[in-house]
Amino acid sequence: MTSPRPGGAPGRPPSRRAVLRAGFAGAAGIPLTAALAGCGQGTSISSNPSELVLWYWNRSIAPSLLQKAAQQIPGTSKRLRADVIGGAFDSKLRTGFAAQAYIPDITAVNSNAALYFPSEDQFVNLDDYGAQDFKDDYYEWKWNLGRTPTGRFLFFPMDTGPTGFFYRSDLFEAAGMPSQPDEVSAAVRTWDDWIAFGKQLRESSDVALAGNAVMVFNQFVNASPQRYFDKDDKPLFHEPGSAIREAWDTAVKAVRAKVTRNLQVENEQNAAWNSGKLGANIEGAWWMKVLSDTAPDLSGKWRIAQQPGLPGNSGGSFLAVPKTSKDPAAALAFARWLTLPENQAQSYNEIQLFPSAPKAFTTGLMADSGGFFGDQDPLAFFSTAAENVPTTFISTYENQTTAFTDQLRVVESAGKDPDQAWDDAVVAVDKLLKKRGVI
Amino acid sequence: MSAPELTRSSRAQRDRLHVVRPRRSRQWVLGRVVTHGCILVGVLLSLFPFYWLLVMSTSTTAQIFSYPPNLLPSTHLLQNLRNVVANIDLLGAMLNSFIVAGSLAVLVVLLDSLAAFAFAKYKFPGRDVLFAVLLVTFLVPGNLSLVPSFVLMSELGWMGQLQALIVPGAANAFGIFLLRQFAQSSIPDELVESATLDGAGFFRTWWSIAIPMMRGGLAFLGIFTFVTAWNDYIWPLVVLVDPGRQTLQTALAQLNSVYTTDYGMIMAGAVVSVVPLIGIFLIGSRHFIANIAAGALKG
Amino acid sequence: MAVAERPTTTRTGTDGLSVRRRGLRSFWPQYAAVSPFYVLFLVFGAFPILFSVYLSFTDWDGIGDIKFVGLQQYAFLLQDSRFWNAVSNTLIIWVISTVPMLFLALVMAFLLHQNIRMKGFYRVAFFIPNVTSMVAMAIVFGSVFSDSFGIVNSALTSLGLPTVAWLSTDWGIKITIAVMVVWRWTGYNAILYLAALQAVPDELYDAAKVDGAGFWRTFFSVTIPMLRPVILFTVITSTIGGLGLFTEPQILFGAANGNGTVGGVNEAGMTIVLYQYNQAFSQLDFGYGSAIAWALFALAAVFAIINWRLLRDRDAVPRVGSRAARRRTKEVAR
Repeated sequence: MTSPRPGGAPGRPPSRRAVLRAGFAGAAGIPLTAALAGCGQGTSISSNPSELVLWYWNRSIAPSLLQKAAQQIPGTSKRLRADVIGGAFDSKLRTGFAAQAYIPDITAVNSNAALYFPSEDQFVNLDDYGAQDFKDDYYEWKWNLGRTPTGRFLFFPMDTGPTGFFYRSDLFEAAGMPSQPDEVSAAVRTWDDWIAFGKQLRESSDVALAGNAVMVFNQFVNASPQRYFDKDDKPLFHEPGSAIREAWDTAVKAVRAKVTRNLQVENEQNAAWNSGKLGANIEGAWWMKVLSDTAPDLSGKWRIAQQPGLPGNSGGSFLAVPKTSKDPAAALAFARWLTLPENQAQSYNEIQLFPSAPKAFTTGLMADSGGFFGDQDPLAFFSTAAENVPTTFISTYENQTTAFTDQLRVVESAGKDPDQAWDDAVVAVDKLLKKRGVI
Repeated sequence: MSAPELTRSSRAQRDRLHVVRPRRSRQWVLGRVVTHGCILVGVLLSLFPFYWLLVMSTSTTAQIFSYPPNLLPSTHLLQNLRNVVANIDLLGAMLNSFIVAGSLAVLVVLLDSLAAFAFAKYKFPGRDVLFAVLLVTFLVPGNLSLVPSFVLMSELGWMGQLQALIVPGAANAFGIFLLRQFAQSSIPDELVESATLDGAGFFRTWWSIAIPMMRGGLAFLGIFTFVTAWNDYIWPLVVLVDPGRQTLQTALAQLNSVYTTDYGMIMAGAVVSVVPLIGIFLIGSRHFIANIAAGALKG
Repeated sequence: MAVAERPTTTRTGTDGLSVRRRGLRSFWPQYAAVSPFYVLFLVFGAFPILFSVYLSFTDWDGIGDIKFVGLQQYAFLLQDSRFWNAVSNTLIIWVISTVPMLFLALVMAFLLHQNIRMKGFYRVAFFIPNVTSMVAMAIVFGSVFSDSFGIVNSALTSLGLPTVAWLSTDWGIKITIAVMVVWRWTGYNAILYLAALQAVPDELYDAAKVDGAGFWRTFFSVTIPMLRPVILFTVITSTIGGLGLFTEPQILFGAANGNGTVGGVNEAGMTIVLYQYNQAFSQLDFGYGSAIAWALFALAAVFAIINWRLLRDRDAVPRVGSRAARRRTKEVAR
C-alpha cells in the first residue's frame, strides 16, 4: 500500500504506465484503475522488513550456507529467504522487472550477465556500497566481468566454471581404449584427435562421447577467446574462420563421425549416461554434482581428462542486487559472506562449485570428492584448468544467436545439409539482430 | 433387452436362440465380442497413462531410465513424495489451487445463473443484442491478449496474486449460454410469473425458484469450472511471478524444470496434482457426464 | 438513478416504444444480473485486446520506454519464417489430432450405444483423461514417448519394428503432441456423440430396417445426419482448442533450461501460442508478442466466421428438417 510504484510516483516523466492508464480509463470508462491500483503490493516479494529474498537456481548455491543465512545473514540483522527458480530464470527475472512486482532483494545471475546491460538501471551499483574493498580476493578476470560498459559494478562473483572432459573409464577400458586421465588427455589433444578417438570408441563399443552436436559446439565456443560478438556487440560470426564457424565445423565433423548420439532432450541424455550409451561429457566443474545426482550408481567409474585444446569456462555465476532491494547493503554483505574463501571451500565440498576466490584453495578445507572419480582428485584437475581458461566476454545479444544451435540440431537429427543450415542460421540471427537494432 | 439375455444363462433360452436363429446368434455373439474387445482396448488406452504414472512415481530415477522399461510398480513412492515435499511447497500450491478453483466455481455459478435466468425468462430491451454479443465473445478463443493482460495486472498490482486468476473469470459466456438453455427447459414460465405476481422481485425469484430448479445445471457448471480452473496453466504461468505462490500446475512445471535429474520425484509430484481432481470428478462423475452431453446437445 | 420520474411522451405514440422507455428503469434487476459478465469482459477481455493493438505498433521490452514503430512488427511478422512455421504446425497438429479423435470418438460412441453392461464405468473411464492435469500428463507422455527409455519404442522393438525418435524428429514431435490431444479429448467427444445417439428416436431405425437398409446404409443415412449438430459442436470446440494449443508443447519442448530448442528440434512442435508466449515472456518483446496475438486473432476470426456459419445452420436444424420434408413432398408429387 505504501511503497510507491515507480511509474506512479509524482515528479517522474509520464511513463508507459501513464499511457496504459489513460487508455484503460478511456476504454473502460470507469475509474477502476485508480480504485484497484492502490491495493497492489510493493515490488518486494516478502513484506517482512527483516527478510531478504534471494532467487537462485538448483545447485547454484550450497544448501548449508543458505540454511545459515536463513537464520541470519552474518554481520547484518537480516534473514535470507531463498527461492529456487525453475527453468527460464532470466525470463522470470526480466518479467519481474517488467511487472515491477515480485522482484527479489538479491538474485543469482548466470555467466550471461551481459543480458542485463540494457536494463542495468534495474540494479544497484555495488561500488556505492563498498564492493571494491573486496576486489583483491577474487580472480581479476571474473571480477571484471561484473562491470557494465558504462562502468557500473553490478555482478558480484560467485563461482567459476573451468571445463574438463568427463568420461567413463570402465567403458573406455572395456573398449580397449586409453582409460587413465593422462593417457586420455594425451589422446585427445586436438578436436580432430578427440573425434577420431570417439569414432573408434563408437565403432568398437557403441559408446558415444557427446550427447549431441550442440555440446561440442558450445564447449568449443566456451574454450575460445572469441565468441559471437566483440566487446562493442559487433557480430563476428560472419567472418571466415570465426570461432563460431570453427565450432560449427567441428561439431558437424563430430556428427559425421558418429561421435555424438543425437540426444536432443535432457532426459534422454540423463538416461543415456545411466545406461552407458553415453560415456563422456565436456562441461564445467559444477557438472560433477549434476552427474552424481543423475547417475549415483556410477560412482567410482568416472574420470576427468583435459579436453581438446585449452580448457574453457562454462557457467560460473554472479550475485546482483535489484534497485528495489529492501537493503542493498545487507544484500552485498550476503554476497561477500557467501563467497568468503572458507565458504567457497564449503560450496565446493557440498555441490562442487568451483571457487572464484583463489584463497579458497589455501584454506585447506576443500575436500576430495569422496571417490566418485576413483582415486583421481578433481580439485587438482580443475585448479590447473582454471589457470588456462581464456578470458572471454559474453555479449548482451548472445541470447539472439540460438539459431546456430537450433540449426545444428536439425543437421544432427534430420540430416540437413550443414552449409545450408549455417546459411539459414546466419540469416535468422541477422534478422533478429536487425530487429533488436544491433546491426 | 439384449443385456439381460446375455446375463441370464438359462439353457432354455440359449437353446431357444439356437433353434430359432442359429446363424444370427453366432453373428451376434461375435459382434458382442468385437464390441467389447474394442471398448476394452479403448479403456486400456484411456487408463494406461495413469498406470504408467503410477509405475514411474513408485520407481527410482534409475529404474525409470532403464530399458526396456519396468512394467510393474516399484516401492519408492513414499521416498519420492518425501522429496517432493522437501523441495517444493506442494501443500501450499494445492491450497492455492483449491482457493482459485473453488472461488471461481462459486462465483461463476452465482453470476452466470443470474445472467442466464435474466436472459431465459425475462424480456428486456436490448436482450437479444446483448445475447448476440455474448455469443460472439464465446467464439473468440482465449490466450489472445497475454501481453496486455499481463501489463494490466501489473498496473492493478495483481501480479503474483490469486485474484488475478479469479476475478477475470468470475463470469463467462459459456456458463451463461449453458445455464440459459437449462433455465429455458427446466423453469416453467408460470412459476416465474406467479412469483412475480406474489410480489417477489427478480433477485428473490432467482434465489427461491431459479437456483433450486437449476440445481443440476449449477452443479455441473460448478464442477466444470472447478476442473478447468484447476488445470489452467498458461495464465497462472504468466501471472504467478512469485515462486512462493503457485498453483499445483505451475508448481509442477517448476518442479519439472528445476529438478531435471530426479524423474521419480517429478512423477510423484504429478501424482499429487492428478489425484485430488480425479477424486472430485469420480464423486460427481455421473452427473457431470450426463450434463456435459446435455449442455452440448442443447447448445 | 435519482432522476425524478418524468412522464414519457412519445411523438409517435406507439405502445411498444413508450413501454420501452418506461421499462428501461424497471428492468434494472435484469441489467444488473447480466452486467457482471459484460463489465468483466470489457475490463479483462475487450480492453486488453484493444490495448494490444497499440502495443503491436510499438517496440517495448516491458522495462524500458515504449517506442512507437508503426507497422514494423507486422512487417517483421510477414517475413518471419518461424512464425509461419508455427502457424503451419498449429494447423497440422490440429488436423492430425482432430480427424482421428472425432473418428475414434464416433466409433466408441457407437460401440457404447450397443446395449452393453458397465456402460457407466466405461463412460467414466473414457472421460477421465479430460479432467486430468495436462501438465502432469505431458510429463508422463514425455517419458512414454521417450526416444531411449519410452515404452512406445520398447513395444515397437518387441514387435520387431524400428524405433522412432518421437521427441526429436519433425513428425515424431507433431504426432506425440497430437496423440496427447487425442488421448485427452476422444472420450469427451465420444460421450457427446453417445448422448446424441441415444436421442435418436428408435422409429427412425425401425423405419430404416423396414426399408431394408443394411448396417452401413443406416449408419450413413440415419445416424450421421442425426449427429450432424453435435459433430459440428465438437469441430468448433476442437478448433478453439487447437488454435490455443500450448501446454503440451510448452511442457515437452519449452526448453526452459536453456538447453534445447524451444518447440523441439527444428521448432517442429512450436505452436502459435507457444511462439507468442516465447516472444513476449522469454524474449521480452512485448510489441512483437502483441503482433503475433493479432495474427492469431485474425486466424481465429476466420475460423470463428466459419464456425458462426455452421452454428447458424445448426440453429436451423428444424429448417433442415422441413427442407427435407419439402423435398419429400416434392418427391411424392413427382
